[in-house]
Amino acid sequence: MYYIHAISSISHQDSFRSENIFDGLQILGEKSEPIAPAYKEFIPPTSLRRLSPVLRMGLTASIECRKTVDNDFDAISVGTALGCLRDTEKFLTTILTTTSDFLSPTAFIQSTHNTIGGQISLGLGNHAYNMTHTQNNLSFEVAMIDAILCVDEGKKNVLVGAADEHIPFLELLQPDLISDKSPLTSGASFFAISSENNKSNIGVKAVYTNFNTKDVETSVREFLAQQGLEISDLDLVLSDDETRMNIPAGVTSMNYLAYSGTHYSAPAFAVHIAHDYLASKDAKYVLVVNEMCKGKLGLTLIQKG
Amino acid sequence: MKIHVTGYGLISSIGYGADDSIQSLRNEKTGIERGRLAHSKKYNVGAIHLSNSELKKRYNLSTDGSRTALLGMVAAKQAFEGHALLDDVRTGLISGTSVGGMDISEAEYKKYLDQDGHNPDNYKHHSSGVGSEQIAQELGISEFINTISTACSSATNAIMMGARMIRNGSLDRVIVGGTDGLTAFTIAGFKSLMIFDDEWCKPFDESRKGLNLGEGAGYIVLESDKSISITKKEPLAVLSGWSNASDAFHQTASSPDGHGAQLSMEEALNVAGLSARDIDYINAHGTATPNNDLSESQAIKGIFGDNIPPFSSTKSYTGHTLAASGGIEAVFAILAIRNGYLYPNLNFNKAIEETGLIPQQSFEENRTVKHVLSNSFGFGGNNSTIILSAV
Repeated sequence: MYYIHAISSISHQDSFRSENIFDGLQILGEKSEPIAPAYKEFIPPTSLRRLSPVLRMGLTASIECRKTVDNDFDAISVGTALGCLRDTEKFLTTILTTTSDFLSPTAFIQSTHNTIGGQISLGLGNHAYNMTHTQNNLSFEVAMIDAILCVDEGKKNVLVGAADEHIPFLELLQPDLISDKSPLTSGASFFAISSENNKSNIGVKAVYTNFNTKDVETSVREFLAQQGLEISDLDLVLSDDETRMNIPAGVTSMNYLAYSGTHYSAPAFAVHIAHDYLASKDAKYVLVVNEMCKGKLGLTLIQKG
Repeated sequence: MKIHVTGYGLISSIGYGADDSIQSLRNEKTGIERGRLAHSKKYNVGAIHLSNSELKKRYNLSTDGSRTALLGMVAAKQAFEGHALLDDVRTGLISGTSVGGMDISEAEYKKYLDQDGHNPDNYKHHSSGVGSEQIAQELGISEFINTISTACSSATNAIMMGARMIRNGSLDRVIVGGTDGLTAFTIAGFKSLMIFDDEWCKPFDESRKGLNLGEGAGYIVLESDKSISITKKEPLAVLSGWSNASDAFHQTASSPDGHGAQLSMEEALNVAGLSARDIDYINAHGTATPNNDLSESQAIKGIFGDNIPPFSSTKSYTGHTLAASGGIEAVFAILAIRNGYLYPNLNFNKAIEETGLIPQQSFEENRTVKHVLSNSFGFGGNNSTIILSAV
């Protein structure tokens, strides 16, 4: 087990610094926006001006996780599917519309995917392992696979999370390249994980990715069987509304995208929901089923005890 | 458990495979010259003179993709040649990239801004993850796919991730490395940072002015003991050490003492169970920017003291191929170990005043090269080191 010692999410829900988000979750309305924390409490004003939403969210959620745990992180693993889109689009527009030889490098510098991880290391003054994974809808899961590997290798206190940001341009790519089932948006969720259970009895039991999924239910059964479980042992399944598996009576299911909105880091927010569900209910197992891209399946099993 | 290297492949401006690359390395023939395309013609670059459609045709690629993905397919296929997909050998692909499908996106976005027949479907190649999935598809791999994007250390980190997944038993075999195509976006980006040398770059030289960009891809195949007992592939080298650490100094600049680089080299030696004295050759990151080369020199001095082994930067051959550089240079390291090569640091004249380090200046062969340390450093203070060793 990889126990969750800290969680911080910036989302459309009242999730930041919230003791438990589960009972307050609300389905997103049409005009819903992400709720921005008071960033200036976390980031100096000179930096804050330069930082795009995904950088603000990733850095702030990470700082908040750091405040919750006792020690510096000894590894940092970040997932992002599309990275720093605002600065990428900004720099692209500049180079395609300007003839000047002198361009400001800020947007370029901040356009690389690992600006999130880099800002976290700078913000926390952290010299540890720092990795950025990008694998479309499975970016969070591969970042978690790395984080788990770090714990297995003896790291005591690992920061893992995912962040993605929305730009209006993405709406031009709907519905062919990106789902239009719920509003396209931004979000970040970060976690501190550890093999120690002195402060938490809820954690990540196992993570799985599959890039050629023919039948979701078969993959879910095989994954659970490796953990000695069956689908009927689950208390809650968090998936999207198109999930291609039968969920037996007695197992609750929820469409997490209805609460997070659509972005490829949403499965990380689903893990936050799963944690808070287990923390407040008489329940033991939650499965997050990520099939935001057809054929590419991510499964994260969250367990209490 | 050993992490065996059983294949390698590369493409860069100095060669479309290992034999070509050795020829150029031996003959001190750089791939850097004045760019030939609209976005590169004002700069010296290490470009591959094959268009995307020429790449597809020449290498018989059946999967469509961006320049980054196509270059990746060429090098990864080369590395995996002679290997077969087997049910009981869990095989993955871990690939590093920084620009992903930007060559297609930037052309398409221009049409969007000009309102000139914009086709949103073309952005399907944009995401870095998609490029890796296309490379995996070309090889027939679907068990595990992962893309690392940590700018210029991406390929080295992909190699490290693969080694760790083999060591803990999650994979038996993995193709690891990186790829990046030259794009208008990156050329303009490095121009805006004002770290180009308008002439030919001079790594580790006192008068170095900056870098030349390049493009390419490099991959190696890693296998576990169990895997080679099934595949019967001959181990060509061993991946013995790896590490990643953060400089946590500045988003783009390296710290003056190369703190993150020292942490990364030190830990890689620890993982390998080697001491600094065991290293026979260092393939430096050596981008030829004033900041990197000074910082890296200080870090090398910090780790190796007065006993600095032969070292060089091969970036005056290939240009800085960004996320691909660690993959291409890992192949150079394997070739050095296999053949006893030391590579010259082309275009060096005078040592950096503060450090006085003199890199390897001529091509040598038949040297004893048992352990090669290879550095890659990226934006965000992302410092990585791998050590490749003789079998």
